[in-house]
Amino acid sequence: MNVLPLRPWPLGNDSCLFVSDTGAFFAGDEAFLDRQIESSLTPPDHAFLARQGHAYHAEGDVAHTAHAHGVAKRFARAGTLDYLILVPTLRCNLSCTYCQVSRAPIDKAGFDWSEETLSAVLALVDRLETPSIKIEFQGGEPTLRPDLLRAVIERAQRFPDRQFVVCTNLATLSAEIIDIFDRPDVFISTSLDGDSKTHARQRTGSAAEAQRFAENLDRLLRRYGPDKIAALPTVDPQSPPEPAELIEAFASRGLRGIYLRPINYQGFARKRHAHSREQDVAWRAYYERFVGALIERNWADQTQVLEETYLSHCLKRIFQPGHDRHVDLRNPNAAGVDYVVIDHDGRAYPTDEARMLARSGVIDLSIGDVATGWDTPARQLLNDNATNALDPECQRCAFQPYCGRDVVDDLARYGTTDLKRTETAFCRRHMHLFDFAFRLIYDPNEAVQYSLRRWLKVPGDKVCLGAVLQ
Amino acid sequence: MIPLRLSARAEASTPFVTRLNDGKRGASLVAADGLHSVFAGDAGLFEINGVAAKDMAGDVILVDPRRGIAERLFRSGSVHNSLLVTERCDQLCVMCSQPPKKTHHDRFDHFEAACLLADENAVVGITGGEPTLYKERLFQLIERVLAVRTDLSFHVLTNGQHFDETDVERLRQPCFRAVQWGVPLYSSEASLHDDIVGKPGAHRRLLESLPRLMRAGAHVELRTVLLTTNAAQLPTLARFVSSHLRFVDAWSIMQLENIGFARNRWAELYYDHRVGFQPIAEALDISALYGVNARLFNFARCGVPGPYRSFAKPSISDWKRRFPSECVPCRERQLCAGFFEWHPNGEGVTPL
Repeated sequence: MNVLPLRPWPLGNDSCLFVSDTGAFFAGDEAFLDRQIESSLTPPDHAFLARQGHAYHAEGDVAHTAHAHGVAKRFARAGTLDYLILVPTLRCNLSCTYCQVSRAPIDKAGFDWSEETLSAVLALVDRLETPSIKIEFQGGEPTLRPDLLRAVIERAQRFPDRQFVVCTNLATLSAEIIDIFDRPDVFISTSLDGDSKTHARQRTGSAAEAQRFAENLDRLLRRYGPDKIAALPTVDPQSPPEPAELIEAFASRGLRGIYLRPINYQGFARKRHAHSREQDVAWRAYYERFVGALIERNWADQTQVLEETYLSHCLKRIFQPGHDRHVDLRNPNAAGVDYVVIDHDGRAYPTDEARMLARSGVIDLSIGDVATGWDTPARQLLNDNATNALDPECQRCAFQPYCGRDVVDDLARYGTTDLKRTETAFCRRHMHLFDFAFRLIYDPNEAVQYSLRRWLKVPGDKVCLGAVLQ
Repeated sequence: MIPLRLSARAEASTPFVTRLNDGKRGASLVAADGLHSVFAGDAGLFEINGVAAKDMAGDVILVDPRRGIAERLFRSGSVHNSLLVTERCDQLCVMCSQPPKKTHHDRFDHFEAACLLADENAVVGITGGEPTLYKERLFQLIERVLAVRTDLSFHVLTNGQHFDETDVERLRQPCFRAVQWGVPLYSSEASLHDDIVGKPGAHRRLLESLPRLMRAGAHVELRTVLLTTNAAQLPTLARFVSSHLRFVDAWSIMQLENIGFARNRWAELYYDHRVGFQPIAEALDISALYGVNARLFNFARCGVPGPYRSFAKPSISDWKRRFPSECVPCRERQLCAGFFEWHPNGEGVTPL
């Protein structure tokens, strides 16, 4: 019997998590850890490990091959380009304190796609070799240019499976925009920072404008129901809203997914929210308190399941390999292959954050432009560093199979990628998230297990989520 | 039931394959009178009785003049077309729906001709008996057809007893991306699986084949027929699939078909999921947790508890599917498997 490699992680209370390179895991006690280190595993240990797929008899047998397959499955394979983030204009009718892209004033010329850029974008759409397409309109405020949205949407009708997401602040809602939103292939993404007061403080500036936003959001929810609309809060970790209040702002509207994001260290935020470079213990405590509040609410009112979408995503990555389309968390994280950002001036960026960095004058991470393409040395350089597979810190980390790599994030915060991984915000954030996820997985509280099962899309309530060595 | 075998007469003396009056290829309709039609094709005149010509338009048929029959190999527009390539089998499953025979008539050449005439983008089912008893012929059929008809794909039902190390490289050919192998696994416990398939060592042999298919990058649909003997162990099997066979495209948990050997052993073998859904629920939960694409075949939707209903697929082939009269008002009929034509009456459906 050959036991496959296992990486330990302390869970507390004499309990230890063991994770294989495939991401399969179980909990054992310290005595098992000792037996593993001393190579003195017992027959029951062996039987358990074999049952769980952590041991094999001979090379090429089903356990050995399944392990190899499982390891391979943990590597994201970026497919053909089928996800475009388009910035038809950088102009915006709001000026949020933490604006990530240093938006341009509403009446300023030269911040919209030119005729040439539009033609090049349409030509790009024509060239795509994919049956399914996702196009996200970012800004600036993309609804300032409904004509450009329509041009792209109409051009992309040839894809049988298509999704257009308009990321809008909903400050205004013209009939022309409603016409676009009415299309079944169009979805709406907006920002909802909490109650009206918080939203006004962080975004709109005035209470009247915050009120208008809320009316617009509710009007759309009445018109389309919650499935067409996603809202994301941005949280100022210096003064976060009470979890219950933020949750209520979403739940009362039937919005079930809340992606709890602290202010991104980008754009204006670099100066106005300098503390946002790293999230600290206080943020993590807030985050856990927030998830705790979700769990309690889900348990108390089982008619609706609310989730923190990034935690759900991390949980899915723990149990189910293949969730590799969330481009903030995958490994390797290929740049400029299956998705790309086209800015208002036609420049191509590997991610939206990379665009923001260039806009803020930190570092130019553009990899090309929409007219001439982005198969460039710049893209290659990013991709040479896009994996965590060979990082010595990651290789020792129990969470590596679930984790990712974000070169742009490192550059944004530290101006270099050449750091000990554990000293980066990306690493610390995800170490915390995965540790938290496993503490939840092994939490015997029935309310916790209930929410986890729903977040993982398990229909029933009998299945045990965390295997324990017996 | 939709008739698949019709009486026929033909000028030709040897069997031939053709496609019926689709306006382009094959034989064209010369005369029709109700259920009696005369066609003219490369093999001369022939007549078919029993189905109106308009209901056979585009069908690919194999006419055997000596036996006086025409087999509808592919019914145009149907998604349930399969070729029975042999009736021999090296297993003897307790519930076999198509009990094996000792003799074998090689009809691969006809089947190849038929595949070349199939509807565009058709999925060709290959069944038996055990098709891989004639592995070389089978692989050749698939390779040759897919070299010409890149739009087609195959679904092959096999007991997985005959994949060797030498097959791995061959199955890695790009054309085999268009082939899905439907492989039965009835239990993670060797002795129980062997008892069910009536062959000692079958489980061990199957677990030699599966990693080969894994390494070949083959598409595999795992199949488990639900029986009184293996129902309780379904959660254990689900754990095995999740930990060792996660490479499968799908895991189909199938309700028993009341035909073949199962007919006489019905009371002994049939597991009533309406009374004891718990082990099935648990297996589906485990599969969902680990991202295994599990589904229920041959389960009428109303017999499946609400949270699990989306797993129940309309799996029963159109030509042998039946809905009791109580199903008329049901709103989920389009999504439902219904029942096998030969399922015992008194299902006790509750329209949704």
